[in-house]
Amino acid sequence: MANAPVPILIAAIVPLGWFVEQSGYVDAYYARMLMLIGYNVILAVSLQLINGFSGQFSLGHAGFMAVGAYLAAYPAITFSQTYTNPAAVLLFYVALAIVTGMCGLVLYGLFTAARLSRRLHPTLPIILILLLIAWLLVELARASRYEGATPGYLVWSRGISLLRSSLAGMLDHGQPLAARVSVMFPEAARGPMAFLILLGGAGACAAAAGLIVGLPALRLRGDYLAIATLGMGEIIRIIIINTTALGGALGLTPIPRYANFSWIYGVAIVTVVVIWRVAYSAAGRAIMAVREDEIAAAAVGIHNTYQKVVAFIIGAFFAGVAGALYALNEYSITPTRFTMDRSIEIVVMVTLGGLGSISGAILAATVLTLLPEVLRPVAEYRMIIYSLALIAIMLVRPQGLLGGRELWPRRRGPRAPSPGVEPREEPIPA
Amino acid sequence: MSTAADTLECQRVCRSFGGLRAVTEFTTRIARGELVGLIGPNGAGKTTVFNLMTGVYRPTAGEIRLGSRRIDGALPAQINQAGVARTFQNIRLFGNLSVVDNVAVAFARHGGENLFHTILRTPRFFRRRDESEAQAMALLRTFQLDGKANLRAASLAYGDQRRLEIARALATRPRILLLDEPAAGMNPQEKAELMKLIRFIRDQFAVGILLIEHDMRLVMNVCERITVLDHGETIAVGTPQEIQANPRVIEAYLGEPA
Repeated sequence: MANAPVPILIAAIVPLGWFVEQSGYVDAYYARMLMLIGYNVILAVSLQLINGFSGQFSLGHAGFMAVGAYLAAYPAITFSQTYTNPAAVLLFYVALAIVTGMCGLVLYGLFTAARLSRRLHPTLPIILILLLIAWLLVELARASRYEGATPGYLVWSRGISLLRSSLAGMLDHGQPLAARVSVMFPEAARGPMAFLILLGGAGACAAAAGLIVGLPALRLRGDYLAIATLGMGEIIRIIIINTTALGGALGLTPIPRYANFSWIYGVAIVTVVVIWRVAYSAAGRAIMAVREDEIAAAAVGIHNTYQKVVAFIIGAFFAGVAGALYALNEYSITPTRFTMDRSIEIVVMVTLGGLGSISGAILAATVLTLLPEVLRPVAEYRMIIYSLALIAIMLVRPQGLLGGRELWPRRRGPRAPSPGVEPREEPIPA
Repeated sequence: MSTAADTLECQRVCRSFGGLRAVTEFTTRIARGELVGLIGPNGAGKTTVFNLMTGVYRPTAGEIRLGSRRIDGALPAQINQAGVARTFQNIRLFGNLSVVDNVAVAFARHGGENLFHTILRTPRFFRRRDESEAQAMALLRTFQLDGKANLRAASLAYGDQRRLEIARALATRPRILLLDEPAAGMNPQEKAELMKLIRFIRDQFAVGILLIEHDMRLVMNVCERITVLDHGETIAVGTPQEIQANPRVIEAYLGEPA
C-alpha cells in the first residue's frame, strides 16, 4: 500500500477529533454521523476480506459485531464501575478463554471419539449420536413431566454450573491480584489500557466465534453459506436476548465511555492497513485463489478450508472490534442494534463498493451512511429514494463502484528482476 | 535419477458411481523421467483416473502410492504437496489474478506464509515475496510468458492459458505431472510446439508425465508407453507401435469389423 497517507492520517486524527468533538464548530448531529461512518468503514472493510477476497458470502457480520459489543460492554461495566481496572478486564478475557477452552476440549474429545469409533464400525458414530439424542429427549421429557432432577438434567446442569463457577472463581480469586497490578500503573494510563484490552479482547472473542461458526459453515457454498451465516447471526442475537447477565432485550447500560472520534478513526485506519496487507500479499493471493477456483487451488496445494477460515477469523475480529468501539462510545447497547438488517446493510456496502476493492468498501460505507441522512428532508420518501438509488447504481455499475480495483495505486507485479537473478532454465528452443 | 520414491503407482484401482463402473482394476506405474500416454474413446474413464490420482475422488478399491506412501484418501492439497501436479481438461486458471500471481501462488505454498510477518511487513516478508516473484518470473520466462506477467490470466489467448496452467503445475515442484488433453483446441502448429514443450519439461524439470490426449499423432510421437482405456477397463498397454497394431484398440475406436 502506498504508505504515505497513513502517517499523515494518523497525525491528523487527534486534532481532527478535538475539532469535531470539543471545538464546538461541529454540531453533535454531524459528529455522530462521522462516527457512524467510522464504524461502517471498519465493518465494510473487514467484510470485504470475507465476501470480496475469499469469495465466501457471509450474512452474519452483525452477529460478530454483537459478540464484540457485548463482550466489551459487560467487562467494562463490571470492572470499571468503582475505578478503571485494566488487569481485571484482562483477567476476565483470560478466564473466558480458559472456560471456552474447556468446552472446546470436551467437544474435541467427543468428536475424536466419534471418529475413532468409526474404525470399529462405519455406522457406529451415527448410532452413538442417535443414542445421545434419544437419551437427551427422554431426559427432557422426564424433566418436563416430573419437574424433578433427572440424571441427564443433573449432568447438564452440573456441567453448566461447573463452567459458571470456574469462571466466577477465577474472576473472584483473581480480583485482589488484579487490583494490586492495576494500582502499579499511573492513574491516567489505566483508562486507555483498559480500553485497549477491551478492544483486543472483544475482537478475540468475535474471532473465536468466527472460528466456531466458520469451521462447519465454510464447508457450504454460495447461497447455502449465506443462509447458514444469517442463521448464526440471529442465533447470537437471540442468545443475548435470553441471557440475563447481558441485560436481555433491555440491553446493557451505562457503559463507561472510553472511545471517541479519534479512537474510532485510528482503529479504522489500522483495520484498513491490516486488511490491505493481508489481501495484497502471498496470504491474500492464496485466499483469492480459493475464490477463483477451489478445485484448481487444491490442485496447487492450497488448503481451501484453512484459507477460508483465516479470512473469516480476521473479518470477524475486526467486526468484534467495531462492536466494542460502538459499545464503548454509545453509553448503551441493545440487541436490536445487531439484527439481520444491519448485516445486510454491510453486505450492501461491500457489494456496492465493488467486490475485492478495499477503497470501494470505504467509499460505499461513507456514501451509504450519509445517503439516508441527506435524504431526511423528503421524510417518508426517504427509504424509497434510498432503495431506488441502490438499484440505479447497481444497474449502471453492476461490478460495484470500483469493481475490484483500488483508488490509490497498488504495487503491481514484480519489478524488473535485478541483474543478479538469472533464469534457472534455458528458454524453449523455438 | 529416478528412485523408487518418485514413482506413482496404481494397484488395481476401481471407482464406481452408483451402478456405473467408471474405472475397473486400473494398474500403472509412472517413474520420474517417463512419458506415458493414457488414451481411449470419450467416456472411457481417463479423467476419472486423473481425479483418482489427485484425490478429487477416492478409489472404491485398490491402492495408489507415491513411492512408499499411500496417497489414496488424502486431500487434493496434500497429494499436490507430496509431489503430484495436474492440469485440467477445461482450463482452470485463477482468472482474475495476474499471470505472475497464478504461478507465484503455487510457489508460495511451499515457502508458507505467516500472518504475523504479513501484517507487520517484516524483512522476512519482503525477502519471501521477492524470492517467490523472482522464481515465478523465471518460470514464466521459460514458458515465454514473462512479457504478459501482469495481465489478467483470463485475458490470455487460449494457447497461452494452456501453457500457463502447465507452468503453474510445475511451480508446485512436482515429481509426477498429469496433463489432461493439453492439445485440445490447438492448431497443428501449436500442437507441434506443444510436443517439443512436453519433451522439454520432462528433461528440464525431471518429472514423470502422464498425458491424456485425443490427438493420436501427438500421443504416438511423444509417449514412450501408452495405456488404452475403454469403458473403464484397460484394454492394452504397450509402446506406440504395439498399440497401433492392437486389434482391440482399433475395435474400441472404430467399432467391430463388418
